[in-house]
Amino acid sequence: MNFAKLAARNVYRNSRRSVVTIAAMAFACAMMIVFSALMEGVIAGSERNVVAMNTGDIQIHQQDYRDDPDIYKMITSSAELSNAIRQIGFVASERLFAFGLMASDNSSSGVQLRGVDLSYESTVTEIHQHIMQGTWLEQTDPHGVVIGKKLARLLDVSLGDELIFVGQTADGYMANDSFNVRGILKSVAAGIDNSAVLMSNSMLRELISLPEQGAHQIVIMRVDKKQALSQASELIKSLVGQDLEVMNWRQLMPVISRFLETAHVQTLIMLLFTYIAVASIVLNAMLMSVFERIHEFGIMKAIGVRPLQIVSLVYAETIIQTLLASIVGLFLGTALAWYLQLYGLDMTSLADGMSFAGVALDPIWYAELSINSVLTPIAFLFVMSAIAVIYPATKVARLSPLEAIHHQ
Amino acid sequence: MIRFAIILFSFFALSATTSFSFAEDTESIDRVKVLLNQVDDLWRGESSYAVTSMQVKTEHYTRTMRMEGWSKGKEKTLFKIIEPLREKGTATLKSGNHIYTYLPKTDRTIKLTSGMMMGAWMGSHLTNDDLVKEARLEEDYDASITFEGERDGHNIIEFTLIPKFDAAVVWGKLTLIILADSHIPVVEYYFDEDMILARTISFSDIKPLAGRDRPTVLRVVPADKPDEYTEFVYEQLELNITVSDILFSLSSLKKR
Repeated sequence: MNFAKLAARNVYRNSRRSVVTIAAMAFACAMMIVFSALMEGVIAGSERNVVAMNTGDIQIHQQDYRDDPDIYKMITSSAELSNAIRQIGFVASERLFAFGLMASDNSSSGVQLRGVDLSYESTVTEIHQHIMQGTWLEQTDPHGVVIGKKLARLLDVSLGDELIFVGQTADGYMANDSFNVRGILKSVAAGIDNSAVLMSNSMLRELISLPEQGAHQIVIMRVDKKQALSQASELIKSLVGQDLEVMNWRQLMPVISRFLETAHVQTLIMLLFTYIAVASIVLNAMLMSVFERIHEFGIMKAIGVRPLQIVSLVYAETIIQTLLASIVGLFLGTALAWYLQLYGLDMTSLADGMSFAGVALDPIWYAELSINSVLTPIAFLFVMSAIAVIYPATKVARLSPLEAIHHQ
Repeated sequence: MIRFAIILFSFFALSATTSFSFAEDTESIDRVKVLLNQVDDLWRGESSYAVTSMQVKTEHYTRTMRMEGWSKGKEKTLFKIIEPLREKGTATLKSGNHIYTYLPKTDRTIKLTSGMMMGAWMGSHLTNDDLVKEARLEEDYDASITFEGERDGHNIIEFTLIPKFDAAVVWGKLTLIILADSHIPVVEYYFDEDMILARTISFSDIKPLAGRDRPTVLRVVPADKPDEYTEFVYEQLELNITVSDILFSLSSLKKR
C-alpha cells in the first residue's frame, strides 16, 4: 500500500480544512522563526555591548582596584605585560581612568575620564564604530573627546562644543583643561552613557600628571573565538602572576552573563507555548478528519489493513501538512527575519534608554538569522504535531471494523 | 565656637553663641555663652584680610601653597592662590551657599554642583562642603561644658557640641578643648554619625596676630589616615578693614 500517495489524496480531499491547518502551522512557524531570530539578535547585541564595546573578554587590574578605583593603583609595567599578552596570541589594550567635574556653558556633571590607547583599543573593542554623532578620537586632536550619550544630554552639548574639566592631579594639584566634543557615543552601558569622557591615554596622563608608564586596566580579547573563555583566563593568569587580578567578563558581570545564558531557555519556553496552541489546532483538525472517515477506516480494517498501518497513514497525512507548513513558514519567517536583520525593529517609543543590569539595550532590535534560529522552530513544529496526532491515530487504529463500517 | 575655615581666612563675623540653646541653669548658660564668645572673639571681625599657607601631606604627595583671602560678613568670602605659579590666580568665591571657582588656565568660572561638595578642596583634607557648611554650624548644635580642670598638664575646659535634632549636618558630635586661662582653643574633635572619630583639628604656635595672641597653625588630621594632614599657617591677618562688596562678585574673580 502506498501510504504517501494515499495520505496525499486524503489531505487533498478536504483541501479547505488542510489549507487552514497548514496556514495556522505555517504562520506560527514563521512567527517563531522571526521571534527566535530577534531574540538571538538582542542577545548577541547585548553581548556585543558588554564584551565588544567595553569589557572585552578578560581584564587585568591591580588586586583591589575594582572595589576602590584609586588613581594610584596602577599596573606598573603595563606596556611590557600587554606586549607579552599580544605575543601569546591575544589582542590587548591599556586603559587609564580618572574622576572629576566636567562643565559646559550651562551645566556641569561628575565624569569618569577614560584614557584609551589609540593604537590598540580598536583592535580589542568596537567602541570606535559605535559613534552616534561625530568621529572617534584622533591622536592629532588630543583635546577632542568622545562622550556618553546621556552625559551629552545632561551637559546640553553637541559636537564641537567646549567642555572644561576640573579635577585633581596625582600630585595634588588642580587638573584643569578645556576639551571639545568630537564625538557622542551610542548607548553602551549605563556607566558609560551617563558619565564617560573618552580621550587618548597620553592626554589623560598629561592632565592628571600620571606617570609615563602604567595603566589601571588591561583589556584583552581572544583572537580565536573558539577558544574557551575560562581556558583563555587561565593562560593569561599564568602569564600575569599573583599580584594582579585577572577576570573574564562572565566573572566581571555575573548578572548579565546569567541573563544571556538563560535567554535561550526563554526562547524555548516561548516556542513551547506558541506550539501548544498550534498543536491543539492540529489535534482538532486531525480529529475531525479522522472521525468523518470512520466508515472508510472500517472498510480498510475489514480488508486487512493492520492498526499500525492506519497509524502510519494518519501520521503520513500530518507529516505532509507539517512539511508544507514548514516550507511556507520557512520562507515567510526567514524573509521577515531577514528584513529585520537589515532594517531592525524600531522599539524607540517603547524601549528607549532601556537597560538591563547596567547594559544598555539598543532601542532598534535587529534580528540575527542563524541555522539554530530557523531550524529550532521547524523541528519543534514537527515534534509538536507528532505528539498532537497520537490521540486521533490510536483512536482509529483501535476501531472495531464491524462497528466502524456501520458508523454513519 | 570654632570653625577652622573661619580661622583660616577670618571669613565670618560669628555670632555663634547667641543661637545656642543652653541648659536650665542660668549661671552655666552664661558661662558657656561667655566662654564661647571669647573663643569667637579671637577671630571675630566684620571683615578681614588674611594670608595663609597650606601644606598638604598625603600618602602620595606633599604640596604647599599660599593664598590670600578676604571676607565680609558671614556670607562672603574670596580667596586667591598666590603660589605655586602653576595655580596662581585660581580663585574661589563663596557667596551664601554657593561656591564658584575661577580657573586661570582655561579662563573659566565654574559653579560647584552639589555632587562636587564632598570632593576634596584643592587636594586638601577639607571638602568643599566644609567651606559652605561652616558658617551654619552655629545654628546646628547644642553646647555644654563636659570637663573642666587639669588634663595633660594644662588647665582646660572641654565643650561638647551635639547637633540639633533637625540639623542637616554630617557630624555626630564635636568636642572642643580650650585653655582655661587664655581661652585659646587647643584641639577640636569631629565625630561621625556612629560617634567614631573622623578628624582632629589641632591649634598651635600661639603668636600675636592682628593685635592679640592667637594660634597661627592649624592642622587637620583625618582619623582613618593618621599619617596624612593638611596644615594651615597664618602669615598675616587684618580685621575690620574696609572691603567693597564688588570684590565678592563673579567679575572680580578674574582680576589680578
